[in-house]
Amino acid sequence: MKQANLVGWLFVVLVTGLLEVGVRLFELRDSVPAPSAVLRALAEGVSSGTLSGEVGTTLESYAEGLGLAIAAGIVLGLVIGSSRTLLEASSIVIEFLRPIPAVALIPLAIMVFGLGLPMRRFVIAYAALWPILINTLYGARGADRLLHDVARTSGVTGLGRLVSVTFPAALPSIATGIRVSASLALLVGVTAELVTGTEGIGSYMQRQQLAYQLPELYAAIVVTGFLGYAINVALRRAERHFLFWVGEGRLAR
Amino acid sequence: MTAAFLNRVGRRLLGAVVFGAALGIWEAWARSEPSFLFPPVTAVLERAWQVWPTTDFLTSVAASLERLAAGYALGAGIGIAAGLLMGSLRAARRTLEPLVEFLRAVPPVAIVPAVIVVLGLGNGMRIAVIAFAVCFPVLVNTVEGVRAVAPETRDTAAMLHLGLAETIFRIYLPAALPSIVAGLRVALSIGVIMVVISEFVGASDGIGHYILFQQSQFNVPEMYGGILFLGLLGYVLNRLFLLVEDHLLSWHFRAAGEPTR
Repeated sequence: MKQANLVGWLFVVLVTGLLEVGVRLFELRDSVPAPSAVLRALAEGVSSGTLSGEVGTTLESYAEGLGLAIAAGIVLGLVIGSSRTLLEASSIVIEFLRPIPAVALIPLAIMVFGLGLPMRRFVIAYAALWPILINTLYGARGADRLLHDVARTSGVTGLGRLVSVTFPAALPSIATGIRVSASLALLVGVTAELVTGTEGIGSYMQRQQLAYQLPELYAAIVVTGFLGYAINVALRRAERHFLFWVGEGRLAR
Repeated sequence: MTAAFLNRVGRRLLGAVVFGAALGIWEAWARSEPSFLFPPVTAVLERAWQVWPTTDFLTSVAASLERLAAGYALGAGIGIAAGLLMGSLRAARRTLEPLVEFLRAVPPVAIVPAVIVVLGLGNGMRIAVIAFAVCFPVLVNTVEGVRAVAPETRDTAAMLHLGLAETIFRIYLPAALPSIVAGLRVALSIGVIMVVISEFVGASDGIGHYILFQQSQFNVPEMYGGILFLGLLGYVLNRLFLLVEDHLLSWHFRAAGEPTR
């Protein structure tokens, strides 16, 4: 249904070409590297394993933190969302914690967990928790009352109703939350690496900037961009695959 | 005083009671087992009460707000302009789409080191990275809002021989406004996040710098105070935004039959 956008990709090539010419003509190499140099650095970084190693480190804490947030967010969201009393009871605590940007917790998390993986796991999980939790809450609230009543009269008990009625009903909303969380978590993870400068693609960028290795720095940015892009595409695909019953229009974004 | 009303008040109170209880438990725990990293709530509030009104702190807040305002305005402006263009001209959309799709997938913090190389460690760098992050949610929502304009409306505009500029400003922009505003709201919280991130590197003022500095000095209650302030700021900004939104979109909510919030 969607054919390749030739014009768009030609435009990308054109912009890259113009950048190359501009950098060479005006000798801007000290502030912006030529795309050809970036490509070379990219190829070198990937083949030597430095870049891919850093990406692996980043992905590890990312996957763990996000996974934790998905599990906690869905369970908490379903339980809280299926009871009005719990919803009201937790409302002010949630409203209080939600607006605190996770990046602001990085200094605190460093004090508590140190500079390594546990700290990143925590801030990523914290950042990713809120969109998933809130969306699961909404999804659970929006579950059709009729389905609940049918399940109840059919003798399905509390936990069973949660798993077989509320959860599937909330799934489209949960998926939206996960998509929002996925990019937020990457942002927070890279920020934590940049601030601590120990390991991961964020700290690699910081080192390249300090060493004034601009092609290597830009290669890392491009890789991070591809990473974000790949995550977006993968999630959209997964959503379409697993949530096939939801209208295409809703999933198109 | 119906039972339902009492019930509702009771539920509202429940939230406050749970919140108070959580703070109380934290307080009691922090007092019974004094821990350097988890100071009592009252100690944090006491320090906040002393620190927040000082000129030093307020100057930092002002610096952050200035960066946010400048970056937000710049990013939103670019996002709306590019979004209107891409939404109304198929050629522009096809041309720019792959580039935009890639750029918006880049976590905005990743461009910070590159922007530092070009713009140095000053305000320009901070404003640029905030604008970069703010731009994309606004752009995407603007494109979507414009594309959702009914074909009949488009045809009517064509029939009336409206020029491109007129079509954009008199038809697409108002029609896309609810969607644009939704994007602006998402962008606001991203903007706050980017302010903090941009102030983590080489800043001498701003709330992000304040939090990191207090951490480096092991002033734990002050650090908590900074985090708390940021949370409050985010909350207040969001509330203000909702007020403006209600005002700006009252016609839309009325037309859509939604109750004004």
